[in-house]
Amino acid sequence: MTNPPLRLIVQIQVALSFLMYPAFGCVEPADNPSRIALAGGSLTEILYFLGEQNRIVAVDSTSNFPQEATEFPSVGYVRNLSAEGLLSLDPTLILGEHDMGPPEVLDQVSSAGVQTVRVPEEFTPEGIVEKVRCVIRVLGLDENRTAGQISTLIKTIHTLERPIENKGAPLKVAFLLGIQDSGPLGAGTNTSADGLLAMVGVENAFKDFEGWKPVSPESMAIANPDYIVIPTRGAKSAGGIDGIVQHPVIRLTKAGQRRQIIIRDGMEMLGFGPRTLYSAEEIAKTMSISRISD
Amino acid sequence: MVSASFSLKKKFTTLVEVKRQRSQRLYLVCFFLVFLLVVFLSLTNGAISIGLFDFLEPESQLQKTVLYEIRSPRIFLAGFVGASLSIAGAALQGLFRNPLADPGLIGVSSGAALGAVAVIVFGSVLSVNESFRPYLMPVAAICGAIVVTSFLYSFARRYGEFNVATILLLGIAINSLATVGIGAFQYLSDDGELRTLTFWMMGSFSRSMWFTALHTGTIILMSCLWLARDRRNLDLLQLGEHEAQHLGVSVNHLKRRIILCSATAVGAGVALAGMIGFVGLVVPHLVRLLGGVSHQYVLPASALLGASIMMLADLVSRTIVVPAELPVSLVTSAIGAPFFLWLISRVRSS
Repeated sequence: MTNPPLRLIVQIQVALSFLMYPAFGCVEPADNPSRIALAGGSLTEILYFLGEQNRIVAVDSTSNFPQEATEFPSVGYVRNLSAEGLLSLDPTLILGEHDMGPPEVLDQVSSAGVQTVRVPEEFTPEGIVEKVRCVIRVLGLDENRTAGQISTLIKTIHTLERPIENKGAPLKVAFLLGIQDSGPLGAGTNTSADGLLAMVGVENAFKDFEGWKPVSPESMAIANPDYIVIPTRGAKSAGGIDGIVQHPVIRLTKAGQRRQIIIRDGMEMLGFGPRTLYSAEEIAKTMSISRISD
Repeated sequence: MVSASFSLKKKFTTLVEVKRQRSQRLYLVCFFLVFLLVVFLSLTNGAISIGLFDFLEPESQLQKTVLYEIRSPRIFLAGFVGASLSIAGAALQGLFRNPLADPGLIGVSSGAALGAVAVIVFGSVLSVNESFRPYLMPVAAICGAIVVTSFLYSFARRYGEFNVATILLLGIAINSLATVGIGAFQYLSDDGELRTLTFWMMGSFSRSMWFTALHTGTIILMSCLWLARDRRNLDLLQLGEHEAQHLGVSVNHLKRRIILCSATAVGAGVALAGMIGFVGLVVPHLVRLLGGVSHQYVLPASALLGASIMMLADLVSRTIVVPAELPVSLVTSAIGAPFFLWLISRVRSS
């Protein structure tokens, strides 16, 4: 540390590390992480992934994995928590997704002396690892003991690094949340689904708009995706794979004609917990296998 | 309609009877007792159990925080919003001389919602003074409510008196116009804003805190007191606009005041608690059915009963699925919609 430039770099890094987590508390361990109320499906998944599920006292309605997690009392939707409901379970820590709320409820809970910690989210593979690391830090777990779990994640990320191409051009994939009468709801840029598609190594067919938007038949025809990815729930209400490929909006696309529809659990794909990496890996596998058989 | 207005006049003349006034006073006392009972029930029930009389002296710090920082502002706001919707409902029914004028049905609430939704979506890009920011949503909601109410009023002036069908059709038109606006904002919003919007629209008192609840309470109290000053004029208006004018009521000023005050009261409540349906329709009707139509009685009775019903609905919404909670408008609509159906069948058969 005698080298002045090196010291400067370290100082800058320390300063930056605060900048990176402005409102988030995963720099230091929580005061008492023994009874945790979770707000966010991916965090529930991470606690099970780390084998720390005995700390859970409550989950939210997006926590549907693993199955046994649904047996905990549910404090409602991650954005619509209830202050008194949370407090009634006597938690020592409320660990939530970046979007947990409403903010007033969290203020009330803090004023009752319960610590609340938000875990930052980034829709990248590194973001998932960072999320797990953040939970490890907040719980004050031994980094050596959890090294195994982290390296499994990183291994999966390495297998995902090869982009899936179709005769030189990247594969075009559309992620649809569901297909209502008004048309399918597609994922543009800056969405969790966009992150998933990037992770799979394919091109988002709707990169020209931002957020979740209903897609018109024409823009679907122009996008002409090779594959369509859709959550199980959305697929079910659209009448399963047959219903989807026969839908007038989908019928004209390559994905519809070749029945290249991938149906998977929504929280698994978009929750950005460890399962999302696995999900991306599986989707990538399906796409490469069927391309070889073309 | 002729027979309806005739029966109204007949009722109005019987109102002066002392007997009726005495029974109305009795009802007011009853409503007040119910109100106190509901306040007590709301304070002592919730996800965290607090003993029947512990609210005077909470045992633990947790109970104290829950009582004073979480439950009390919530009950306070629910009471005020319930009272404001009911008084506004009663005053608008008096103004339009139409029993179906409810802030929700005729579109005042959705006008307020449109204003509030605009702030949820565009609030972050607007450059306003930080100290003004908390007031942005109430102001926008009140403006939205005033625009809708004035539009309704100018429509009414142009085409004479409203009948039941016209006002409902107008309500449908205004509600769908507001829905178009809200839909446009939904389209423009990002993922996070969209989900905030969805839950805000369903209505809830879970976001109540003393700071905002006191401000809203003050606005609502002032506009309701202002409305109450016109109780006598509202009675005279029931005879018809010309008759009221001849009896010395400045009808145009009266209308303007009532529109402004009810829109302000409704807008302020909607801004904090979201859209809550049917309370403004059901409560004044119950009150009139029980004790008569004089606004001297209807306005305070609506306020008391409206506050009680809203606090009760909130109590149900926060205790029925513990530790989560239901949107409060789900509860009010579940009670209100069947009542509305019954009301329509009653109006049709008379």
